[in-house]
Amino acid sequence: MAHYTVRKIVDRSMRILAYFALIAALIPLFSILGEVILKGASSINIDFLTQPSPTVGEAGGGVANAIQGTLITVGLASLIGVPLGLVSGIFLSEYSEAKISSPIRFFNDVLSGFPSIVVGIFSYALIVRAIGFSVTAAAFALAIIMTPIVTRTTEEAMKLVPATVREAAIALGVPLWRTIVSVVLSGAKKGIATGILLALARIAGESAPVLVTMGYWRWWFAGLNQPAANLTLNIYIFAISPFENWQALAWGSALVLVMFILGINIIVRAATREKYK
Amino acid sequence: MSRLIDLGLEQLASMIFRMGELAYKTVSLSLESYIEGTNAYAQVQDLSEVLVVMADETEDKAFELIARFQPVASDLRILKSYMKIAYDFERYGRYALDVSQVQNRLGGLEQCERWIHESVREMSEKVLNMVRTSVDSLKSHDVILAKSLSETEKQVDDMYFKYLDKLVEKAPATNRCTISSVLVVRYLERIADHATYIGESIVYLATGEKIKIR
Amino acid sequence: MTHMSYKFEIENLNAWFGSKHVLNNISIKIREKAVTAVIGPSGCGKTTLIRCLNRMHEIVPNARVSGKVLFNGIDIYNEDADPVQIRRKMGMVFQKPNPFPMMSIYDNVAAGLKLNGIRDKKRLDEVVERSLKMAILWDEVKDDMDKSGASLSGGQQQRLCIARALAVEPEVMLMDEPCSALDPIATAKIETLIRMLAEDYTVVIVTHNMQQAARVSDFTAFLYLGELIEYGSTKDLFENPKNELTEKYITGQFG
Repeated sequence: MAHYTVRKIVDRSMRILAYFALIAALIPLFSILGEVILKGASSINIDFLTQPSPTVGEAGGGVANAIQGTLITVGLASLIGVPLGLVSGIFLSEYSEAKISSPIRFFNDVLSGFPSIVVGIFSYALIVRAIGFSVTAAAFALAIIMTPIVTRTTEEAMKLVPATVREAAIALGVPLWRTIVSVVLSGAKKGIATGILLALARIAGESAPVLVTMGYWRWWFAGLNQPAANLTLNIYIFAISPFENWQALAWGSALVLVMFILGINIIVRAATREKYK
Repeated sequence: MSRLIDLGLEQLASMIFRMGELAYKTVSLSLESYIEGTNAYAQVQDLSEVLVVMADETEDKAFELIARFQPVASDLRILKSYMKIAYDFERYGRYALDVSQVQNRLGGLEQCERWIHESVREMSEKVLNMVRTSVDSLKSHDVILAKSLSETEKQVDDMYFKYLDKLVEKAPATNRCTISSVLVVRYLERIADHATYIGESIVYLATGEKIKIR
Repeated sequence: MTHMSYKFEIENLNAWFGSKHVLNNISIKIREKAVTAVIGPSGCGKTTLIRCLNRMHEIVPNARVSGKVLFNGIDIYNEDADPVQIRRKMGMVFQKPNPFPMMSIYDNVAAGLKLNGIRDKKRLDEVVERSLKMAILWDEVKDDMDKSGASLSGGQQQRLCIARALAVEPEVMLMDEPCSALDPIATAKIETLIRMLAEDYTVVIVTHNMQQAARVSDFTAFLYLGELIEYGSTKDLFENPKNELTEKYITGQFG
């Protein structure tokens, strides 16, 4: 009888501990969100979203050009990183036993652990030296950061699709490539989309590689071989500035960035929800 | 390796062996009393009734084993054979009773000519031997012994037809002897036939071959 | 009895998983429009045998096959033979029902056609209805065609897989222990279905349940340790097997 009571107490305390741990884990998320929303909300107005960055001393202004620049840079990086990551992930999943797969996986893991500043410097050496600070250089660096993430999550998602599904398709006389593309990918799409989203969120928030490949840019987009404005850099530059309106812009940028990431999350969730019960 | 069905098969086997012994006893008793002129009618009647009941029980048991165990191959053949053999043993009892009934109604061979006595006795001995053989070869699943019934059956048939010929030729003094002995040798011939059926079932059970021992 | 032709003529078929020799010189002729059962204890190679018939064995890494399998008279292991085309002629049903989880019932059945480029809605509708009727599933699902394939019971899922296989109009149905994961009632339904299929298709069914083989098949092959021990009509094999090993196996004296 006594043992049962002890068990009940232990069970209760563990439960309470678990709840506390959960709350502790969520506190940073909510406090950051809260802070950003509070401080940044006041900055959001139509000007904010449509005006380019103000110069020193200029009042008002917005981050429209930074939004544009971030979108273009991240977009360009995805154009390289997503297909590359997808194909690698599919290969590693479907040809898991091939001799070359182990080394690829290893290097992929190593690459995903590289400090982003190092990737930035690599891009600097390769591209900035050739064509100068540019969107291209930044996108290149971001693509290198993005690819291993997409590769790994794609491989995991594909592997989760049970072998029986592949077998059924092949037994139906569907060629292997079609099986992978139409059947397996379709089953893995939620996981893959999540992976891409994770990667997007990561690179949208990268600052160090962008700094060494593009630097601060005050104007609208001016071509791929020129730098462009960037939300994360804006936050950096504006936050440490002595101007109040700039600081407000920094908070606003932070809010936009967070909303952007949140938005992608929601869209992807909705698009890949289970259509059937 | 002992299987679930083995216990049932053993029980069935012992039922049918007992039945075989009982059938032999019944036939032996009935034929002996006919030839010697003693009265064993009541006994033979009881025994033959017991054989009917045993045949039913054996059939039930075999069906139970089929329903429960879905037997195949040798198990299935054994069950099929045992059911047939049980019926044949019941027939032995039936014909033994028929002989006793004839004796009861029309009398035995006491008043009959010497040659009638001899012929019927000779045939009875041979047929009783066949009954014995059928029971023994069943116990040991002895295919060779079972097949030997073929030879003896030919001999019995021979004796049967020769007796009929002689009866027609010699026309004995009393109708009573003629009719009584004719009926009895007819039953003897049928008992011999059933012995060969049993032999055939034994061959099927042991080898899966369906042959005719005749 | 009219002469029945052979759908498959297997000659000296050998199969390996790496260095493990799982099928040893199998030669057997499978009759068309009949049900042939393949029985034997676990590990005897029966699953490998039917997977060699639609060239599914070789998709596993390190799997190897040698020998001939004549299908409609032509060797499917010929150098020029296209495995994809061969598999289209044979429907396969697996031990554990495996409908495509992210597709509806309709899409599952139509999958074989859609994935091969057929888009004509009218034709797809016809094929789906016909296949589900053949698999005795139409009445149960006709009002719920958009529900997920995975929302059905085990027996229904297996019939769905059968419908999916039938939709591509194969000539042969290969079934690998199709009832192992099902309850007795679902099993009985599928066994009835198998007998009906035999009127139009050649069916080869692997089963570890001997009574099922006895109920459902016209011919039975007994495999043991990768070798063909006996092959004959089901009636003869179960009443009077020629090989002592067969006798021992089917009367439950080993395995």
